[in-house]
Order: sequence, then structure tokens, then C-alpha cells
Amino acid sequence: MDERARLSVELSHARGAVSRRWMPTLAAGLSIGEYARSLERRLALLAAVLLAAIWALSGRGYFWPGWAWLGLGVVVLLDYAAGWAWRQPRGAVRRVASVWTLVGVAAVILLATWLLTWLLAGVHQFWPAWALLGLATTGSGYSLIALHDRVLVARGRRALRARIDMLTHTRRQAMDAQAAELRRIERDLHDGAQARLVALTLQLGRAEMRASDQPEVRQLIADAQREARHAIAELRDLARGIVPPLLADRGLAAAVESLAARYGLGTSIEVDTNRPLAPAIESAAYFVIAEALTNTAKHAAAQRSWVALREEHRTLMVLVGDDGRGGADPDGSGLAGLRARVEALDGSLRVASPVGGGTIVEVSLPCG
Amino acid sequence: MRVVIAEDLALLREGLVALLRENDIEVVAQVEDGPGLLRAIAGHKPDLVIVDVRLPPTYSDEGLLAAIEARRRQPRLGVLVLSQYVETAYASELIGEDTAGIGYLLKERVGDVRAFLDALHRVADGGTVLDRQVVSELLAPRDGATEALSGLTARERDVLALMAEGRSNTAIAESLVVTPGAVEKHITNIFAKLDLPACDDDHRRVLAVLAYLRVAR
Repeated sequence: MDERARLSVELSHARGAVSRRWMPTLAAGLSIGEYARSLERRLALLAAVLLAAIWALSGRGYFWPGWAWLGLGVVVLLDYAAGWAWRQPRGAVRRVASVWTLVGVAAVILLATWLLTWLLAGVHQFWPAWALLGLATTGSGYSLIALHDRVLVARGRRALRARIDMLTHTRRQAMDAQAAELRRIERDLHDGAQARLVALTLQLGRAEMRASDQPEVRQLIADAQREARHAIAELRDLARGIVPPLLADRGLAAAVESLAARYGLGTSIEVDTNRPLAPAIESAAYFVIAEALTNTAKHAAAQRSWVALREEHRTLMVLVGDDGRGGADPDGSGLAGLRARVEALDGSLRVASPVGGGTIVEVSLPCG
Repeated sequence: MRVVIAEDLALLREGLVALLRENDIEVVAQVEDGPGLLRAIAGHKPDLVIVDVRLPPTYSDEGLLAAIEARRRQPRLGVLVLSQYVETAYASELIGEDTAGIGYLLKERVGDVRAFLDALHRVADGGTVLDRQVVSELLAPRDGATEALSGLTARERDVLALMAEGRSNTAIAESLVVTPGAVEKHITNIFAKLDLPACDDDHRRVLAVLAYLRVAR
């Protein structure tokens, strides 16, 4: 048995013994303070009992031990109250607690003295009234001044926290509303303007068939059709840039699969989330993956590439990795733009790209 | 030919109906959504349905799903799907196991009236028509396909793309402004380079090309 273990066994024996001993000992593992206080209380009790016995043995005249009890009690009370005050948090609270300790002890002295004068000397008037009122007023006034600041700070902090909560909430709402709005615009472009242009080219085509014997008219119609086709193609590219149609129609997993197939990197895809996500989250995740795969295809010269999507603790984790040449600039313009987008959703984007060690882009997006 | 049209935009739907009627094609029903399409094919037994990918109520891919379901219920039904955008995933879902009588075109192709009517007839006759954008995405260089496809000359790749669209030799020759004989030579070369069994039938040729492209993906 090593030294420390033996000591702790001895101490625990001593601790077990302390309840049976009348006087505490330092060997029982008490701190100096605890030991002193324990000793003081016992000595005070012993003195009080001793004085009462002396009074009883010496003919039981005027009950003077009452005053001795008062003196001893005040010491013990002060000790307790000071201990309590000292345990309060530092600063204004501890100061206020100390003041109330003194006020409390003074009030006890006044009340006990009044009780003794009433019992022993027959003084019927409640003379400490004004003194007690004074003490209470002073204590309250001091507390008010000392804690005023603190109350104000706490109120300010509460207001600040409420404001942060509200801003976080409204920012998220704004992001969601924006994403929903973008999807609506994409749909409107496809199903509104673009569809009308398609109907227009169809009518032009019918007109062209009827004008088969008028080459000039046919030429004009063919020109108009070409313009309409360009407009349709431009609208389609515009809509695709806003929200890829597959993302809007089928969700993130399908859109990522299509994206990976388009790059032809043989990307392995692992999706572990089947809950529909907010449009803002889906779009951010999609564009991060698109950018990362573009970089992989352009710069990495990778053998392997992978995408993992999973939801953990109400957070969407997106991992895009490759085993290429690494050395990507984490603050490059493409990634910086995406980082801003991710951070606006309270997410984070990390890039690990050691030279020769592949690239991993990791994004976490809270999706509560 | 009996046709059902599923398109929610009235302007376009009416234009299509007028176009088909002018060209002696019977439009037996016009519907606006997927369930309507399924009811119409059950009632009218058409030869061909023309379906927009996005239909009410959600405007996502109900048209495509309805078209696939319609094919499942009537395997010999020709299905021509029109879309505002090209998605190879949609094309492969639509094609599934059987490419006979399938078409997938960008919507704006309806403006080229003759080619559109030609596509309608080919699909109704059990042929396959894929939009040239789908084909070019399928032909885009990627790991598996790059090696074999890079062995093709530029002209051979053009011919391959037109073949995948389901064009006949004559149509390919017209489109590339060469003689049909030259096209035949290109096709023989392509099939040899891609190690595909040679065949004359347009439809089986499309099947072979698609099978090759899908394996390469």
C-alpha cells in the first residue's frame, strides 16, 4: 500500500471517529477554519452551561447569565452570518450581503437586549423600534445604490440577448424567404416567359408552313424564330443559374447525383438524410458541392472523388473530397463567396488542402 | 394517329392542337395534369401522348412520372416528353429498359414544325427520339467514355450524336451535307471503334448507342 492510500485510510478512520468524539480534532481532516469554528461553538456552549451552573449553585439571585448568553450568542451568530456573506459572489452582492449581516446582527443584539430588559428589569416600552427602523432603512438604501448598476446591466444584457435572438430568427427567415422567392422566379421563368416564347415559336412555325410559297416571308419568320430560340436559351441559362431545376423538382440528393454524373469524375455519393430541407440550406449545400466538384475537375487531377451528406444533431454536414494534388487556396474567390453564403446561414466552411494530400471541403449548416 | 396532349399552358396546348389538326393528326384529348393523362389514355387508347414534364399541382416532375406510369399501363404507347430544360437523369428514367416509342425533347423544338412532326411520327412508330442536348451531355467527355470516344474523329462524333437522336442515314446525310454513302462509311467506322454489333435498323442503332453511352457513364 503506497503512502497516499494509507493516509486516506487513516483519515477516513479518523473521520468515522469524529462523530463519537466530543471535541473535534485536526486529524479528522477538517480545515483550520472548520476546526476553529467547531471549537468556538462548543466552547461557547460549554461557557453558557458553566455560567448557568455557577448562577444556580450561587443562590439563584438576579439572572445575570442571560447577558452572558447574549454575548456568546452574538459571537457565534456573527461568525455564521459573516461566513454566509463571504460565500456570496464577489463585488456588489458580497458587499450588500455583508451590510445585511451587520444590520441583522445589530437587530438581534437590540431585540435580545430589549427582551432581557423586559424579562429581567420589567421595561415594557419597545425602545429599539426607531433603531431597527433606522437599520432597515440604511440597509435598504445601501442595497439599492449598490445593486442599481447591476440590475441595469442585467436588463441591458437581457435586452441584447433578446435582440440577438430576434436578429438570428429574422435573418434566417429572410434567407428562407429569399430562397423560396428565387425558386418562384425560376418557376416563373420556365413556366411563364419561357413557355410563352415556346408557344410563340410554335405559332411562327405554323405561319412558316403556310407561307411556303413566299420565300421572303419565310425568311422573316425564320429570323424571328431564331431570336425567340435565343431568348428561350438565355432564360433557361438564367433560371439554371438561380436554382438548378432538378434541385427545385427533386431535392438535394438527386441534384447532386446529376451534378456528379455531369462532371464524370466517378464521384461516389453517400446521402444520409431523407428529410426535406429548407430551400436556403439545400441551395447553399448544392452550390458548395458544385464549386468543389468544379475545382476537383479543373485542378485536382484526382483518382477518386466523393461527396457525403448527412444530418447530425440538426446540422447538415457536407463533405466533398478528392485525392488529387491539393494546395487549393481556402480564400480563393469561389470558396470565399460560398463561405459568406454558408456563414449567413450560421454555418461554417472549412477547407483542408495540403499540397499533394488531396482536398476536403467540409461544410456544416444548422438546419433545425 | 390518335394523340393525347398533357400541357398546362393553354396557349401552347391550343397551338399544338391546331398544328396537329392541320397535319391530319387526331387529338383525342387535352389534359392539364398527370391524373388527367392517365384517365385519358384509359378512355381513348391513343397511339401517342405528348407530355410536359412540369404539370400542376406542384410543377416539378409529375408529367414525367405520369408518362412513365402511362407506359407501364400501356407498353406499346408512344410517349413524347417535352421539357423546358434537359436533364439526363430524366431521360434515363424515361427510357428505362425499353427505348421503343420514347421521345424526350426540349420544348422549343416544337418551333421547328417539320422536325417536330417527324419526331412525333417516329415515336408513334416505336422509334426513339432524344434531344440533341441530351445526346451532347451523354457524349460529353468523362472518365469511362473519354478513352473510347476520343478515338472518334470530329465528323464521326457528329454522326454518332445524330444517330443517338434516332435519325436515319438519309437524314444524317442531309443534316451534315454529305452523301448517304459517306454516312454509312462513318457509321461502320464508329461501330468498329466502339466495338458495337453492326446493324441497319435505325431503332436498333439507337439502342446500341444508348447502351454504350449508359455503360460508359
